[in-house]
Amino acid sequence: MHGAAQARKYRLQGAGLDLALPYLMLAPGLTIVLGVLVYPLWDGLRASTKAYRYGSPVGDIGLQNYVRLWSDVQFLNSLWVTVKFVALSVSFEAVLGFALALFCLREFQGIRLLRTVLIIPMVVTPVVVAIVFRLIYASDAGMLTALSQAMGGGAVQILGNPVNAFVGLVVLDVWEWTPLMFLILLAGLQSLPHEPFEAARVDGAGAWRVFADLTFPMMRPVLAVAIVLRTIDAFGTFDQVFVLTRGGPGEATRLISIYGYDTAFKFQQTGYAAALFVTIGLVVLALAFSAIRLLRRVDAS
Amino acid sequence: MSTRLARALTTIFVLAVVLLPIFWLVSTSLKSNREITQEGTLYPHVPTLDNYVRLFTEKQFGSYLTNSLVVTFFSVAIALVAGAMGAYAIARFRLPLAMEGKVGLFLLTLRIIPPVVILIPVYLLMLSLGLLDSWLGLIATYTAFNVTFCVWMMESFFREIPVDLEEAAMVDGDSRFGAFRRITLPLAAPGLAATAIFAVLVTFNEFLFALALTATPRAMTMPRGTATLIGRIDTDWASMSAAGVIGALPIVFFALLVQRHLVRGLTMGAVK
Repeated sequence: MHGAAQARKYRLQGAGLDLALPYLMLAPGLTIVLGVLVYPLWDGLRASTKAYRYGSPVGDIGLQNYVRLWSDVQFLNSLWVTVKFVALSVSFEAVLGFALALFCLREFQGIRLLRTVLIIPMVVTPVVVAIVFRLIYASDAGMLTALSQAMGGGAVQILGNPVNAFVGLVVLDVWEWTPLMFLILLAGLQSLPHEPFEAARVDGAGAWRVFADLTFPMMRPVLAVAIVLRTIDAFGTFDQVFVLTRGGPGEATRLISIYGYDTAFKFQQTGYAAALFVTIGLVVLALAFSAIRLLRRVDAS
Repeated sequence: MSTRLARALTTIFVLAVVLLPIFWLVSTSLKSNREITQEGTLYPHVPTLDNYVRLFTEKQFGSYLTNSLVVTFFSVAIALVAGAMGAYAIARFRLPLAMEGKVGLFLLTLRIIPPVVILIPVYLLMLSLGLLDSWLGLIATYTAFNVTFCVWMMESFFREIPVDLEEAAMVDGDSRFGAFRRITLPLAAPGLAATAIFAVLVTFNEFLFALALTATPRAMTMPRGTATLIGRIDTDWASMSAAGVIGALPIVFFALLVQRHLVRGLTMGAVK
C-alpha cells in the first residue's frame, strides 16, 4: 500500500527524461526567439555604435550616431510627421469607433452584416489597402477624379500635394483601423453592468447625461487600452506609406520608419539607421510602459 | 420611426464607406488600361480578365503565390509546435529563476517594439548566413515572430485546462509528455486553431521583411511581388488592381470564414 502511494507520487513528479521535460519543451521556441529576435536586437545595439561605409563597419564611434540624430533636420521632421500622423489617425479612430460601437449596442436588422463587413479593412493585406487608396486618389485613373469628371469637374490632385497627401494617408489609416477600435469598444460596452443604467432610466436621466455620467467614465479603461494598442501599432506604420506615397511629395508623408529604411538601404548608412531604430524602439517602449503603469494605477484606485 | 430611418441610413453609409473602395479595386481590375486612364468609366463597360491572365503569364505571380503559401505554411506550422510546447512548459512547470512568471512581460516587450527596429540586424544576420532571397530566411524570421505570439496566446489557453485530467492520465500510465499530447493538446485545439488562424493572416500579409530579405521571384511573396508593379513612371493600373484582388481575395475569404476567432488575435487578447 505504502509502496503504491510512493510509486504514484514518483510518477506525478516525473522521473528520468520527464525531469528534463520542461527544458526540452522550451528549447525549440526559445532557440528561435533568441536567435532571430533577441540576438538581432543586441546586434542592432552594437551596430548603432559603429560607423559604416558602403554597408560595412569601419570603426567604433561610441554614441556619435545618437548625438547626430538630434541635429538631423530630416530625422526631426520625420519624427514630427509621425507624431502628427499617429495623433490624428488614432483620435479619429477612437471617436468614430466609439460612436459606431454605441450605435451598434442595440440589436437591429443588419447589425450582423455590418460587423462582418467591418472585418474586411483590417484583414486585407496592408499593401493592397495602399493600392486601393492609390486607385482612389490617382489623378488620372482615380475614383475621385472619375466621380468629379462624371459631375463635370476636372482631375482631383491628392498625392501630388503635400497637405492632401498627408490627409489622404490619415484617411487610409482611419479606414483600415477604425473597425478594430469599434470591435474592442463594442466588447467593452457589452460587458458593462446593467444596474446603473436601469437606475438612471428610472430616475429619468436623458441620453446625454447617461453617456457623460455613466457610459464614458465606465468605458475609460477599455478606451485607454484600445488607444495604447493602436498608438503602438501606428508608430510602426510602414507598408501603407511605402506603397501609397513612398514618403512624398517631398517629405510630407515620410514617417520615421520610411526614413530609417531609406537611411539603411538606400543611403547605406547602416550604423546611423540602427541608432535611429534603437531610439524609436526605446521611445515606443517608454511610452507603452508608462501608459501601462498609469492604467494599473487607475485600475487600483 | 425616425430612429429606425436614421439607423438604416447610418448602416448604409458605413457599408458604402467600407465597400466602395473594394468595389473600385475589383472594377478597375476588370477594365483595360485604355478604359482606366482615357475613358474614366465608373464601372467596366467592356469587362475583361486579361489583367489576371497577364499576371500569371508575364509577371510571375504563380511564383509569388507559391512562395507565400510555402513560407506561410512552414512558419506557422513550426511556430505552432514550438509555441504550444513552450507555452505548456510555462503554464505547468516551475522553472529556475521563476522564469515562468517573467515570460509574459518578456513577450509583451518584444511585441511592443515595432518590427522595423530589428529589420537591419535581421538583414545582416541573413546576409551572413547566406539566406537572403530564400524561403529559409523568410521562414526563420516569420517563425520567430509567430512563436512569440503563439506562446502568448497558448499559455492562457493551457492555464484554463484543469491539471487533474493530466494527473489522472499519468496515474493510468501515461508519461508526462504523453499526458500533454493525448489529453491537454486535444482540449486546447480550439485555442490552437484561433492562434493558427491569426498567425496565417499576419504572415501572409507581411511586407516589410519580405521587402528587405527578398529580391527575385525565387523567394518574393505576394505582397512583395505586388509592390514590384509600383514605382515606374507609367503606372500599370490594370495589373496593379488585379494583383490587389488576387492578394486580398483569399485572405478576406479566409478571414470571413473564421471571423469568430479573429477578434481575440487582432486585439492581442485585449478582447476575449
